[in-house]
Amino acid sequence: MATPPTEPQEDSSLSQEGCYVALTSSPLSIQSVTDRVRSPQAGAIVLFAGTTRDTFASKRVTHLSYTAYTPLALNTMLSIATDLHTTHALQGIAMVHRLGEVPVGEESILIAVSAAHRQAAWRAGEAALEACKERVEVWKREEFADGEGVWRANRDGAVGERVG
Amino acid sequence: MSPKPPPGHFNILYFATAGSYTSKNVEALPAPLPLKKLFDTLEERYKGIQASVLDHSLVTINLVYVDVDYAGSGNAEEVVIEEGDEVAIIPPVSSG
Repeated sequence: MATPPTEPQEDSSLSQEGCYVALTSSPLSIQSVTDRVRSPQAGAIVLFAGTTRDTFASKRVTHLSYTAYTPLALNTMLSIATDLHTTHALQGIAMVHRLGEVPVGEESILIAVSAAHRQAAWRAGEAALEACKERVEVWKREEFADGEGVWRANRDGAVGERVG
Repeated sequence: MSPKPPPGHFNILYFATAGSYTSKNVEALPAPLPLKKLFDTLEERYKGIQASVLDHSLVTINLVYVDVDYAGSGNAEEVVIEEGDEVAIIPPVSSG
């Protein structure tokens, strides 16, 4: 039985013209991700905070951890950000995902977008999250109270593969 | 990130279910290796991995996705994994 990789992962980020993406093993800051997209040209900032849940299909989750293929995940996140920056005429977009163990109830992902008007910001914020969940090379492992552990797969919403 | 592979080898990274199945995150395999032989090579080392993991996974070489089915169809210009390359098995993702 394999143990999940738990080696410390360094913080890393990519940025380019109004787009910022990062992976970090530290707790996420709603304030700092919001400040990254703050702009005098923006009339709206939309922030999404994804938090870790303590149950899956009524099974109790005791802890969760995330691993990433860091360089590829950052490339994919930046590609999502730059696409949305163009298609929704955003002022700014910032996406940060946490790695390693994330205590239940804390933020695992933050997405902030700013735009001149709220409609574009709402739409781009939702599109950014959906694209991340579909494409970014990050994996969530859930450990249940009964000792079982699974790697989740977003694609089918199913329980994933049993690994222990 | 991972140690440089020894001469004549490439690194292969195993994420999520691939890492659980192989009980490792990375290993070095002999290069060159035609891409279309990658899954057979892994199946030889880890019996059952194709049906359990690889059939649901994507593959990258040096951070670029490659089409293993197309490589195996016999029509494609043959993609070969070279010494020093970084290959990764990418199971279905679960960010967010």
